[in-house]
Amino acid sequence: MTPDLKVTLAGVEFKNPVMTASGCCGYGEELAKVFPLAKLGALVTKSITLAPRPGHPPPRTAETASGMLNAIGLANVGVDRFISDIMPFLNRQKTRLIVNVAGSRIQEYVEVCARLNDIEHIDMVELNISCPNVDEGGMEFGNDPVMTEKSIAEVKKVLRKPLIAKLSPNVTDIVAIARAAEQGGADVLSLINSVLGTAIDIETWRPRLTNNRGGLTGPAIKPIALAKVDAVYNKCSLPLIGIGGINDYRDAVEFFLCGARAVQVGTALFVYPDAPVRIVEGLKEYLKRKKIKSVNDIIGKVRKY
Amino acid sequence: MINISCEDTVLIKKRSLKNAYFSFTFGPYSRVDQCYPGNFIHLKLSETQIYFRRAMSVAGVNKKKKEIEIIFKVMGRGTELLSRFKPTDHVNILGPLGNTFTPPRKSERAVIIAGGIGFPPLMFFAGELVRNGYDPERIEFFYGGRTAADILERSRIKKLGVNFHPVTDDGSLGHRGLVTRMVEEYIKSHPDEKLRLYGCGPEAMLKATDSLGLKYSLPGQLSLEAPMPCGVGICLGCVVPLKAGGQARVCADGPVFEIGEVAL
Repeated sequence: MTPDLKVTLAGVEFKNPVMTASGCCGYGEELAKVFPLAKLGALVTKSITLAPRPGHPPPRTAETASGMLNAIGLANVGVDRFISDIMPFLNRQKTRLIVNVAGSRIQEYVEVCARLNDIEHIDMVELNISCPNVDEGGMEFGNDPVMTEKSIAEVKKVLRKPLIAKLSPNVTDIVAIARAAEQGGADVLSLINSVLGTAIDIETWRPRLTNNRGGLTGPAIKPIALAKVDAVYNKCSLPLIGIGGINDYRDAVEFFLCGARAVQVGTALFVYPDAPVRIVEGLKEYLKRKKIKSVNDIIGKVRKY
Repeated sequence: MINISCEDTVLIKKRSLKNAYFSFTFGPYSRVDQCYPGNFIHLKLSETQIYFRRAMSVAGVNKKKKEIEIIFKVMGRGTELLSRFKPTDHVNILGPLGNTFTPPRKSERAVIIAGGIGFPPLMFFAGELVRNGYDPERIEFFYGGRTAADILERSRIKKLGVNFHPVTDDGSLGHRGLVTRMVEEYIKSHPDEKLRLYGCGPEAMLKATDSLGLKYSLPGQLSLEAPMPCGVGICLGCVVPLKAGGQARVCADGPVFEIGEVAL
């Protein structure tokens, strides 16, 4: 029997628990040249802001041990062009669609979300309150429980779709932030965003990113991400989406065991753009081998000492 | 449309060229028929600790044998590890990626300007032009390097029948000086010819080639290189500014750009 990969988050059913991570797949057009997007549990878009943003000047990525730093700076086409130019393509894709929204003011989040409300194909909105690469906004909201609750509550006043709050690992107490997000009305939590880091060129004494610092992603951050998911699981009642260094189905299974109900695949897409498809296949084989009927049966089942 | 794949293949031939340059041939690779001059592949060094792929321009294909060739220079940790690969070692090819050179019109003469490690895609380009019936006598192949040791695959390029113009900084092979200066001499001495420029090489050379094209109103293309995590246009790490404003991704919008397009 084929194992059941369906999961439900905030009343929305996903055919499998494997999603792309925001910022790592553009708006899906490029990945569609590699595999049919219908194979994804969901496509999560790059962060959309109210106005278009060019992002930071290059270099804005740097390879590090088992990962990479990036400071792209939320480069995106802005919500108007997203709706006029990108949505027609996304409307043709037979996959769940989650639009990630970023802003530098609470009002900006609210305005972008208001414009997404009437687009039927958008299943959920993910709020980026944790980008480490912009001076104003982003992480500032997600670093403080009061700001987290307030920004989410304001968005929830206008948004008629389920809301995912994407949490930062760059905080002292992620459980406090998670609870604040729940208090504010978030329906799902996704964690983690990138880990603040930097790297220096020792010949030129220049940081390897023009932004001077960036977000670390890739296999290097998986243990951090797992520990954060583990910390939040059962400490609030919201379903969790695990993100951070997921390369293959084994990594994904670790996240499920720690309590994630779905996973997002980011940096791995830069190495194997078909990584989500490989993970879905691997997951099926794994569950079959373990004689487990549904992926839901392993969520949070880590056997702790 | 699905037209990019991740495919495991094997190193079947390794040639050590001089000066830390290597020629690697991989096969069988099912997408050789879709590889054109200007395209690149993104190479995963399977079974190594190198996480990200390395972008390599296509230096040649053998469609019958389903083989693909790259030529690279050891520049850092990735290329150093790659240079130690042995025949039968595995790699994974993501590709073919990027756009391609536009062939010259029948009425035009192709002026190819290669600098250092930029020569492999241009050698492939010249070879494909000749194979497709373009008169090799109408291809001027300028190739600049610091010394004679930096001018590789000379006999292979000459065998195409093109007009070969090596240029070195120290005069140890061909003309002495900068390759773009020699190209300018050539342009000035052929005022009645319709020329089309094709450049690939270090940034300063690309910039000078771009200026030549604009100064003499010559059409042409430049192939760019940039650090490239994903190669397919999703990470936005390799963007370059455009003269008309905005940005382009070297991997997905290039690597080949028109002269005058990129703010170099």
